[in-house]
Amino acid sequence: MSFWLNSLSVGIVLGTPLAYAALGELIAERAGVMNLGVEGMMLMGAVVGFIVTLGTHNAVAGFAAAIAAGAALASVHAVMTVGLRVNQIVMGLTLTILGAGLSAYIGTGYAGRRPGAGVSAIAIPVLSQIPLLGSVLFNHDVFVYAVPFVALGIWLLLYRSRFGLWLRAAGEQPGAADASGVPVFLIRYLAVIAGGGFAGLAGAYFSVVYTQTWAEGMTSGRGWIAIALVIFGTWDPIVVLLGALLFGFVDGLNFQLQSVGVPVSTHLLAMMPYVFTLIVLVFTWTRLRHRRVGMPEALGVPYEREAR
Amino acid sequence: MAFSIRLERRLNAPMAMRIAVPVAAVAGGLLAGGVVMALGGHDPIDAYGSIWEGSLGSSDGFQSTLIKACPLVLTGLAVATALRVGLWNIGGEGQLIVGATAATGVGLYAASLPGPLLLPAMILSGCAAGAVWAAIAAVPRALIGLNEIIVTLFMNYIAILLMDHLIFGPWGDPKAFGFAYSRPLPDAAVLPLLPGTYVHVGIVIALLVAVTAWWLMERTPWGFSVRVSGGNPRTAEYLGLRISRRMIIVLALSGAIAGLAGAIELTGVTNRLQDGISVNYGYTGVLIAFLARGRLLGVVLAAFLFATLVVGSYALQTTGVAQPIATIIQALIIVFLLAGDAALAFRLRITRTRPLLEPAQAGAG
Repeated sequence: MSFWLNSLSVGIVLGTPLAYAALGELIAERAGVMNLGVEGMMLMGAVVGFIVTLGTHNAVAGFAAAIAAGAALASVHAVMTVGLRVNQIVMGLTLTILGAGLSAYIGTGYAGRRPGAGVSAIAIPVLSQIPLLGSVLFNHDVFVYAVPFVALGIWLLLYRSRFGLWLRAAGEQPGAADASGVPVFLIRYLAVIAGGGFAGLAGAYFSVVYTQTWAEGMTSGRGWIAIALVIFGTWDPIVVLLGALLFGFVDGLNFQLQSVGVPVSTHLLAMMPYVFTLIVLVFTWTRLRHRRVGMPEALGVPYEREAR
Repeated sequence: MAFSIRLERRLNAPMAMRIAVPVAAVAGGLLAGGVVMALGGHDPIDAYGSIWEGSLGSSDGFQSTLIKACPLVLTGLAVATALRVGLWNIGGEGQLIVGATAATGVGLYAASLPGPLLLPAMILSGCAAGAVWAAIAAVPRALIGLNEIIVTLFMNYIAILLMDHLIFGPWGDPKAFGFAYSRPLPDAAVLPLLPGTYVHVGIVIALLVAVTAWWLMERTPWGFSVRVSGGNPRTAEYLGLRISRRMIIVLALSGAIAGLAGAIELTGVTNRLQDGISVNYGYTGVLIAFLARGRLLGVVLAAFLFATLVVGSYALQTTGVAQPIATIIQALIIVFLLAGDAALAFRLRITRTRPLLEPAQAGAG
């Protein structure tokens, strides 16, 4: 029993950064801009968050810097793809490689060190005392508690606010939106940069909270899992959050199975999240491809006013 | 009288500018890389001096550059080949690794093969493994349209873990004291050197593959049909071309080229399977293909440039500049290239704006 409870608890912790990164990508994609640079932005967030936390002994400053670093890299993507209408796939891939290189460069000499400050778990009174599930659900850090509210907030923003309507319009029918006075370019800039901030936060969660170390390439493809999650989640923030938690659980299962000494190589167990992602991706896509549920119509298409 | 300034798409860019942009992008990337180094407290001019000395500026450096160019030419070709059918192969890294892994398997378990057969068998199995690894992404792409970028990418992580499983487990060298090495390969599994150098023949193989791929894609009817399928799927469908079949074949070919790179690195450089057999060659290949604008022969040029940066950056490490600076400069070159292309694609047009109906015209009508 404790095996499953531990797996659930670790899964929630591992699913949290995936959820932040995926929700950020969702915002950008709902505005019509695909950003394949998530992995690079996460790595930048991880290294900057780690170094600033180490330097200031203050995780809040670390996270703020990580968000800024992710947003800064994303703003390059925004200027290039929204402003200069560069191919979003090419730019995103370049950004991932740039982020990987920059983070490795900046992080040289920090490998193996400890951040010196962190974000501690807060046991919620009463609720954390519930037998079995109490410690699984209510003994986490503030980022874990916040993530359902963030997802809900994004849902409300998208579907219950004027700005959200504009943002979705920029992603579905930018020409029509522009004609009716929606600031399409501004919204796309904001969405991409905000998405980068989320990715930076997710990266810092790995380096400052989860592993409490910096290592080159430490996110090992979690940024790409986040991009895949947006597809499984049919571009809906609530479904994306649930998907992220499911993936966190699979990821956590791998560590739990290792720790109870399952007679399978740790390397084969570590394949689980990737293999699982691929299998789910094939099934979701088989089911959805004809209906394109939730996929923004103008996703990946640079908007040009003249083409109206 | 009012004026309006608008961005407008150019219909055709002048040829001179098509060549000037990559050149300017390389210059811009080097310059921006210099800024990054200066921010880190290093003298960029000294640094570029070391890069030059460590790569093209010395005989040893030049030979190292040729050795490093070999996998980069091949991974760049892998990406550019897949682009011919309109697919993004971001899985060169994984295909290279499974190529090296399969070649190691043959080298360890078929070591009794007669000497002259062992090496070809290893190289061919490397190609086959790379092809299979790429086909795993190609089949769902061709049949249900699943995005190949994500699938090829995940296969990279799976390939690394597969290799780790083997070198830490069944293939591990008991004498490596916990280092991630496979047992060493037999002497017959070592690629010969070019006479008078310590450069293995892999670079010749890579150049032959480049010319062959170019000939296949640009000079044969089948290659033409592939380019039509990639560039204009509607036309291809109208012509009755089976696009999905071509996607699978071309992506498998692309994977085979990356797998070949792995088998060559194994037999020419490391002589055993080890962690870090690929130093991001697959990802660098993506940037190389971008810089070459997807042209197969341009890949050779771009790969040599990037090999220079990588080899030079090793020399740079002794002066305290971290090696990832090479990756940063490479990525910045592409950022400048993209910006330059965008500047080419558009022009600023300043026009006088007139009221919809001018009084004179209205009256004369």
